[in-house]
Amino acid sequence: MTDPRIERLASLLADYSLGLREGQVVRIDSLDAGSPLVLALYGAALRAGALPYTNVGLSGLGETLLHQGTDEQLTYLSPIQWEELEQLDALVTIWSETNTRALSRVDPTRHAAYIAAQRKLSNRRWERISNGEMSWCGTLYPTNAHAQEAEMSLAEYEAFVYAACHVHEEDPAAHWRAVSTELQARADGLGAARELRIVGPDTDLRVGVEGRTWLAADGRYNMPDGEVFTSPLETETEGKIRYTFPAVYHGREVEDVRLRFEAGRVVQAEAARGNDYLQSLLEMDAGARVLGEVAFGLNYEIDRFTRNILFDEKIGGTMHLALGSGFPQAGGQNTSGLHWDMICDLRDDGEVYADGGLIWKAGRFLEEPVREVVESGVHG
Amino acid sequence: MASSTGRLGRLASVLVDYSTRVGPGDLVCIDTGPAAAPLVHELWGRVLAAGGHPHLRLDVEGAPELLLREGTDAQLGWISPVRRAEVERADVRIAIEADMNTRANTGVEPERQAHAERAREPLRRVHFARASAGDLRAVVTLYPTDAAAQDADMSLMEYEDFVYRAGLLDRDDPVAAWESLGEGYERLAEWLGERREIRVVGDGTDLTLGVGGRTWIPCDGRENFPDGEVFTGPVETQVDGVVRFSYPASYAGRRVSGVELEFRGGEVVRAQADEGNTFLQQMLALDEGARRAGEFSFGLNDAVTEFTGHTLFDEKIGGTVHLALGASYPESGGKVESALHWDLVCDLRSGSEVYADDELVYRDGRFVDGLH
Repeated sequence: MTDPRIERLASLLADYSLGLREGQVVRIDSLDAGSPLVLALYGAALRAGALPYTNVGLSGLGETLLHQGTDEQLTYLSPIQWEELEQLDALVTIWSETNTRALSRVDPTRHAAYIAAQRKLSNRRWERISNGEMSWCGTLYPTNAHAQEAEMSLAEYEAFVYAACHVHEEDPAAHWRAVSTELQARADGLGAARELRIVGPDTDLRVGVEGRTWLAADGRYNMPDGEVFTSPLETETEGKIRYTFPAVYHGREVEDVRLRFEAGRVVQAEAARGNDYLQSLLEMDAGARVLGEVAFGLNYEIDRFTRNILFDEKIGGTMHLALGSGFPQAGGQNTSGLHWDMICDLRDDGEVYADGGLIWKAGRFLEEPVREVVESGVHG
Repeated sequence: MASSTGRLGRLASVLVDYSTRVGPGDLVCIDTGPAAAPLVHELWGRVLAAGGHPHLRLDVEGAPELLLREGTDAQLGWISPVRRAEVERADVRIAIEADMNTRANTGVEPERQAHAERAREPLRRVHFARASAGDLRAVVTLYPTDAAAQDADMSLMEYEDFVYRAGLLDRDDPVAAWESLGEGYERLAEWLGERREIRVVGDGTDLTLGVGGRTWIPCDGRENFPDGEVFTGPVETQVDGVVRFSYPASYAGRRVSGVELEFRGGEVVRAQADEGNTFLQQMLALDEGARRAGEFSFGLNDAVTEFTGHTLFDEKIGGTVHLALGASYPESGGKVESALHWDLVCDLRSGSEVYADDELVYRDGRFVDGLH
């Protein structure tokens, strides 16, 4: 019958991530392929006393619009979409593609026009989320298409996804509460640092973080989750970095990205593959050459690159430094149309220093008072 | 395969170009379940080609049952903001029935179902008001599934043939065929509009309905597809006699058969069903309007010849009449308000007569003077 891991993921999303309460209006967004999780989540929301409804799409319809629609149709936002957004208390996005490359051949300018129009809606959504008027969580339902990106069988990929969410065992909420405590302590500790120095293969980068707030990503906005992040000072990044994993933006991959920063800005950039695309994105606007985020990936159940940023940016033992827009809640001031997470694997030779003192080596923090709790939580 | 794709394409094009006449800028809400995905894909392309903005509302299999089984009263009675926005904002609504199990709700307590129905009543009212005012073009159709085929005692292939034939989609030019039928229906509706009283006599049936001053509406594939009927809303206090419905009637996934009703002064005073009697009584008690006949109609689609257990088709069978308990359509002049609208079909193809103002006008399923 139903995979118990799906039921546990649904309860985790309803009760822990969103903390649904009686009378709250929650919309569940998914494609048809995510229906098993949609149904389980719908049930979990009903049990929480919330008022759930589903917003399920069919794979292929977006493609028809992108290929066939007029400019007016492409950029149309219906009054229905605007009106319902204002009434949501919570929203869940379940990514569940049946073909992750279905849009590869779409005319890029038409695709960009479509995304730009949709962004008006998502900007309003983020405004409501950051004002505390609604909650949001993004998650994934494993499909063959996502498994294929990860170069796994569906069964292997399911095991990977559910372990990353920690729903392969009983009481995942207890696990995430422990993670939350630990990540918050880590964020508080990092808040004292003025400068981080990241050292690794072809990497020696100094990032100013003084006065910025480190935030714990503990499974409320993403599931799985597991990172601490901030937005660095906009003018103080100095040195070079080499991103070991391919950097993916809107489905296009750029490999072996190397950047050199001076006074906060990228002054030199090259990539072994996709260099033109890298250069064009850096030219998007003035903020595209500035770091908007620096983060530690701390989910050690995620141990490999799977070409999906929901998972990749949380790989335990990595850091990611995103070009483009920063997070106002972290104190970030950089604005840009770009927010491009690029991941740096520090699990072999990486070292991170905070104000000159070594705090991280080979993908692990050296000291952490509550670390044992997490270790037993993650692996126990 | 090629021919079935062809029929599906023709269905999409008839729904978009003929039934709902989608034009530039129209917001088109397509409301269905995942089984109808092939038709949704066809419609999406047609709507875009017509300059409209397609909007999808897709049910998740199992979710409606889950709500009916496990929901609290507050949850059952709640209308999602998107449902309301869709009813208020859409220019066009294409609803496609595509059940994967037509009996999924059979085990649900009828009172809970009634509660959910009542909650949707205000929305239905907005829908009908906008439709009557011409602000909303709405069509209901069916995408053939194994579940519906099973109810019809057919294979899926046989059922597909039946469905597409009923929609005249086996013709080269289905739109022309519907337009020509529509002209005939219109003449019949005008003629019936002059009559004051209809009397139906058949096996176990002798029912008189006042129709003076009411409007008869020809149904030519704009609001139902397939279609083929001419209906009105009888005068609320002028329905008298007994009627025995030949076919089982399903409502909200439940089957009732051998229904016999006695009317006096427009109201059901006695009701009995061979099967599903409890459910029948519960539905009659739903609200005040549920005991009244909101609609009386002649089924006129000769491509629908057999009973298949689905109202969309059964009520169109050429040679039948049907009567609906509950809400009337305001455009017919009917004034019954109810959360219920339950069509019950009576086969008149043998041993039956219909009189209009005491004149014999219909015998054994056909109008005698060639009106239809």
